[in-house]
Amino acid sequence: MIGFTLRRLVLLLPVFFVVSLVVFFIIHLVPGDPIDNLLRAGSSPEQRLQIAAKYGLDRSLVEQYFTWMGRLLSGDLGTSIIQGRPVSALIARNLPFSLELGIAALLFSTLTGITAGVIAASYQGTRVDDVITGFILLGSTVPSFWLGLLLILVFAVWLGWVPVSGARGWSSLILPTIAAGLGGIALVARVTRIAMIETSRQDFVTLLHAKGLPPFIIQLRHVLRHAMVPVVTILSLRIGWVLGGAVTIEYVFARPGLGSLLIRALNQRDYPLVQGCLLMLAMAVIIGALIGDIVQAAMDPRQREVRA
Amino acid sequence: MNRREFLASVSVVTLAAGLGLAGGNSARASESEAVFALGNAEIGAPHHDPIRATLLSTVATLIYDRMIEQDADQSYHPHLAESWENSADGMNWTFKLRQGVRFHDGEPFNAATIAWWIPKFKGSVNEYLVDAVDRVEVVDDYTVRFVMKRAEPNLIYNLASSFMGIPSPKAYDAAGDNFGVTEAAGTGPYKFESFAVGQETVLVANEDYNWGSDLSENKGAPYIKRLTLREIPDASTAFLELKTGGVGLLLGVPDQFLPQLQAEETLGFRSLPGFGITYLAFNTLAEPFGDVAVRQATALAVDQSAILKSVFNGVGLEAHQFLISTLAESKIDPKLEIRHDLAKANQLLDAAGWVRDGDGMRSKDSKPLKVKLTAQSETAFKRTAEILQAQLKTIGMDVEIEIFDSTTIVDQLKKGQHQLAVRQYGWNNADILDWFFSTTNIPYPNSSGWQDEKSQELRDIAMQQSKTLDERVANFRKYQENLIGNFLFVPIHEPILNYAFNETLLEVPEKLRGTQLVQATTVDIKVVG
Repeated sequence: MIGFTLRRLVLLLPVFFVVSLVVFFIIHLVPGDPIDNLLRAGSSPEQRLQIAAKYGLDRSLVEQYFTWMGRLLSGDLGTSIIQGRPVSALIARNLPFSLELGIAALLFSTLTGITAGVIAASYQGTRVDDVITGFILLGSTVPSFWLGLLLILVFAVWLGWVPVSGARGWSSLILPTIAAGLGGIALVARVTRIAMIETSRQDFVTLLHAKGLPPFIIQLRHVLRHAMVPVVTILSLRIGWVLGGAVTIEYVFARPGLGSLLIRALNQRDYPLVQGCLLMLAMAVIIGALIGDIVQAAMDPRQREVRA
Repeated sequence: MNRREFLASVSVVTLAAGLGLAGGNSARASESEAVFALGNAEIGAPHHDPIRATLLSTVATLIYDRMIEQDADQSYHPHLAESWENSADGMNWTFKLRQGVRFHDGEPFNAATIAWWIPKFKGSVNEYLVDAVDRVEVVDDYTVRFVMKRAEPNLIYNLASSFMGIPSPKAYDAAGDNFGVTEAAGTGPYKFESFAVGQETVLVANEDYNWGSDLSENKGAPYIKRLTLREIPDASTAFLELKTGGVGLLLGVPDQFLPQLQAEETLGFRSLPGFGITYLAFNTLAEPFGDVAVRQATALAVDQSAILKSVFNGVGLEAHQFLISTLAESKIDPKLEIRHDLAKANQLLDAAGWVRDGDGMRSKDSKPLKVKLTAQSETAFKRTAEILQAQLKTIGMDVEIEIFDSTTIVDQLKKGQHQLAVRQYGWNNADILDWFFSTTNIPYPNSSGWQDEKSQELRDIAMQQSKTLDERVANFRKYQENLIGNFLFVPIHEPILNYAFNETLLEVPEKLRGTQLVQATTVDIKVVG
């Protein structure tokens, strides 16, 4: 298992290099530049040149990339051109909010999704299954923007149970968690249901039934454990989403976070900030996938051989 | 209906539903506290340091006082400078400073403050504000003289800018890059308590304050003792906060939301004259707009009143020249103003040799009168573009609309890839004409590509040779008259600034003072008992 983990870690190095290339160059493919956002009526053309020189934007892209990489390897993500603050400080300010919402939404969608999937699979073909499947379908199609506003209307405006927006205290986290997590519930529930149904059809489950074990125990102790392998894959891929996937929710609920930081930076073509945020999100996805691989390998030893 | 329109529709419907059914559960914490929501244009300020900021919000005007205040009618009023005098040649400005003013950290405000402050702009993005100042001389403890490199009557405008709020020298130098982030100190009516970027700034009343400007009724400490300024990017969410009492005042209401909000009994509204112009920009380097006749015909085909009604719900003003109407420089010869005249537009194109084909569209030498109109993706821009497309069709011009995000459009303008573009600026000074039309600013921001000796000469006179404000006004009028006579733009709309407040929470003066709802009015706002 240790060897497997080490091999996976070594593989991350070329991946990191490719990601750094993509992250650096992709923003330069988009038209526009950040200096336009710094100048106002009254600024002189010389100021444009000064700003370009200050941030190294007057150098070739290749030169800029190696400067950026050099700083990156020493832990420096650069300085935001628009905000004038270190990128790492800006990310550090926003990261806790993204983690708070992302983890809450991931937990909510995972626990609710697995429960719904298990129940739907256990009652396959019945009304219960139909109702849950219907909700799954609805949850995967409702836009989170619309859902967010609907939740605000019902629970904050009409009932007055929670604040309309903001990021002050746990009560302000409830509605964003539900809005951000609903799509995840649908996904997790669908995968869990299918995996449970497929696992239930395997010979060892028939044997367990023949042995006279109660169906409830078979479902939870044996079928669910095997069915968790694809669910873990899905969840590991959603670790990246935890950090940057709730942009719309952050917008509707007026919450700070990495997603809204990235969107603002993109609109202003704030290259260092865009690159810092994208790198952070890309690394979260890569690390999520790594964790998923390791957990899968731990749960199913055959995976270690296949992926080795 | 595309995704953006769908989302906008959802917002309006949700807003309507929310307003109709809301219970009005106030979230006010105490009788002397209030929460304001910043306008969308103010959201995202990374700090509240006026010297190095590129974006400042209302917060800065509450923490820092300025030497001079500017009212909604663009007139200037004393504040930390009790009086000022400009020498006849414009080369010296002498300011008498107010006595008895202290910064939030207890430091005194005096002439030494100004002598420290002006040089701080050197090397910052805001250096242009004091670029004409050669040096500051301390005459006595409360008198300073600005010795100028060149006459600059616009200095008074710069001194009234929110970027020229005066910070405490001691606090500023001590905090370094953290000034405006973790701490901030000025002489303003509010003291800085905390700032969470992208979220909120909390201010508390400066109880020692007794030097309010003559724009405010209340010259002493503000009535609201604890003021939170929140950043809420989604307009629907902000309105629902206003309705439920989570927010007392919205500093910026888009025109399209006004009809729904005005139906609400508990909400009050105030407005101020606009701060910018929506216009149609030409690229004179791209055919057919190199021909003044085509530009004039296009300009005369635009019906500003129809756009005001259908795009902006009748909110704001029709624009017929390039500057906001409260500026003295906007009062040009009325005969030169650009007004809808379809018959003349068609005559001009006929005379220029553009003949109508069977489908009603025009062509000349077998070349169709087909142009591209670039617009931003926001709803108001898109709808304006659609109406312009229909209006220009009436003169036989075939318009194809292209939609991009704002930064991509700027990139296109810089490369001269546009023909027509729906644009908007926000600026309350006539030097915007220099910004957009000076030869020195080609290719951007002068994306019109306009190069003309006479225009540039008038620009130089207005920008560099005006010695007094009156001279400057007269010179800029002549400059605009020259530009408008060459049909380099089509003015369309002058938005007004809309503010909404919850009348169960706040009492807002009927008449707002200042160019925006900032310090001058905020100190007069009371919490409803």
